[in-house]
Amino acid sequence: MIENIQAALVMLTSWKLLLTITLCSIFGLFVGAVPGLTATMAAALLVPFTFFMEPLAALVSIVTMSAMAIFAGDIPAALVRIPGTPSSAAYTDDSYELTKQGKAELVLGVDVITSAMGGLMGAVILMTAAPLLAEVALTFTSFEYFWLAALGLSATVMIASISPLKAGLALLVGLFFSTVGVDITLGYPRFTFGITELLNGVDFIPAMIGLFGVSEILRNMASAHLKFPITAVKAENIFRGVAETLWKYKVNIGRSGLLGTFIGVLPGAGADIAAWIAYAVSRRFSKEPEKFGKGSIESIVDAGTANNSCLAGDWVPALVFGIPGDSITAIVIGVLYMKGLRPGPMIFQEQPQLVYAVYVSFIIANILMVPFGYLAIKVSSTMLRVPRNILMSAILMFCIVGSFAINNSLFDVGTMLAMGILGYFFEANGIPVAPIVLGMVLGPIVEQNFMVSMIKSEWDLTQFFTRPTAAILAVLTILTWLTPVYPILFRRFSRAPSRA
Amino acid sequence: MKISDTVVGAGFVAAGALIFAGTLNYPTLEAGHPGPSLFPRILGGLMAVFGGLVSLLGLRARDVTDEVAWLRLHKNPAFINALVVLAGVLAYIFLVEHLGFLIMGALVIFTLMWRLQVRPVKAAVVAIVFNTLVHFLFAKVLRVPLPLGILWW
Repeated sequence: MIENIQAALVMLTSWKLLLTITLCSIFGLFVGAVPGLTATMAAALLVPFTFFMEPLAALVSIVTMSAMAIFAGDIPAALVRIPGTPSSAAYTDDSYELTKQGKAELVLGVDVITSAMGGLMGAVILMTAAPLLAEVALTFTSFEYFWLAALGLSATVMIASISPLKAGLALLVGLFFSTVGVDITLGYPRFTFGITELLNGVDFIPAMIGLFGVSEILRNMASAHLKFPITAVKAENIFRGVAETLWKYKVNIGRSGLLGTFIGVLPGAGADIAAWIAYAVSRRFSKEPEKFGKGSIESIVDAGTANNSCLAGDWVPALVFGIPGDSITAIVIGVLYMKGLRPGPMIFQEQPQLVYAVYVSFIIANILMVPFGYLAIKVSSTMLRVPRNILMSAILMFCIVGSFAINNSLFDVGTMLAMGILGYFFEANGIPVAPIVLGMVLGPIVEQNFMVSMIKSEWDLTQFFTRPTAAILAVLTILTWLTPVYPILFRRFSRAPSRA
Repeated sequence: MKISDTVVGAGFVAAGALIFAGTLNYPTLEAGHPGPSLFPRILGGLMAVFGGLVSLLGLRARDVTDEVAWLRLHKNPAFINALVVLAGVLAYIFLVEHLGFLIMGALVIFTLMWRLQVRPVKAAVVAIVFNTLVHFLFAKVLRVPLPLGILWW
């Protein structure tokens, strides 16, 4: 392990990669700090560039960018009461209330340090859990992979959303897109309408850029010329008082780091969900729950740690099983496929240097976060003043050229536009967009492993339940489907003794 | 653009039915086992069921489309902005091979900025400078064959 880490360090310290890391950090900080641009959108916009990079540089750039963006989302939350990315939404009110009380420097200082600590905790768990899980995953057959993907789909719908029905619909749409093109059993073209470009399926990357880039532009169009009232922060001493605060809430940091990483490991639940759950848990165990929502630094410590630790957790299922932990890692899986790499347990044996580079880049990114974050806070008011009407127009052009660049095809630009409209329409009607992406990634895994298993076992369905690991995964999947029932059961059980 | 859940749900029922119908002529595996049609049929079926449930819940919550907003859509600036984006990208797709990236790209950015109330002169300068930079980055550095059209660079 040590020699692998050393090898990864040597690879990462080449000047080209250091330049990539620096540029992606700046990109991530900017995207995170500007409301309306999300980390997922930034990842989708990075993809066309990663197309021209080595696999290693591609992964490192996404890791660095996303870590910085999730932290930087905290900045506008504190300064203008608008979360920079959805992951900062949980504690936006608390941050802004504290800013109004004149404690903006403390909030930002806590934001940057807890983000870095959360990210480091997540990285350590990723480094220990992923290789262990990969050992287990080596014994998996198509039956286990089917259940694993099914579990991923179920978790996306049942855990990761407010309205399971609508998330389910989004997921079904994504799964449907994954069926377009030549099918694996007979090579029969499905839903291609005679269009040659569709024989290989709906291209993942233009779809991604449309769903997360163009739809976001359309949403921003309504308020693009709005100017925010910007609170000026001197940010001279953002680290003053941070140490005492963190020491006071050391248990919270540990708890939220673990919780965030665990939520990350769950397929489909990303950093925004981690922040909300950590916030709720924090209030539940707090000595001052009445302060929550009215300026509680404790909530910021908890949720700020959780969302960054979640990012590393998201990579666990992505690397080990090829099942994305959130929408960013769904894009990562798309990038890996584009590079001819198959995520899964074999990647730990065939490309260990790549896996270790991901670990090490998480650590580097989270250490760099402190100085870079400090600088970002310093220039935050300038970043928030970038005219959004110009920015949105520029991003649209990046979306167009980026979609085109993958296959040099204008058809892909059309795909991007169609997906952009779909994504905008879905979001406007309360249907989440992220499950579409997960459906597109997981669809082929579910279908292929199901069909292979069925043909292998000559259509004997019991095989899905008789293998021990498959049975455990099946039970987990079914338990996930039953999540809406638990609160009802819980209420009934907790009421029973009080009556007696 | 918010529509009532009842209508959205009904849309998904229709989409599910269409997906199912689309698979009716698909070939089967030997011994009549379902092949290419199995997965889409399950998806179409589930989509119709979920859509139906969303529709029912919408009805129960008396969730109705705001008709006034729909009638005033042509006066809604956000909607027109969205249309400009749509028209811009479509125009790009159909014209870029004739006019080239340098012209079409700059036109799309300019139109969008102009619509978003950037002053015309500023919009024109930003559009040309930014688009040339994008062209340089993608066509020269990354070697993407962006359509040249009537300009040769």
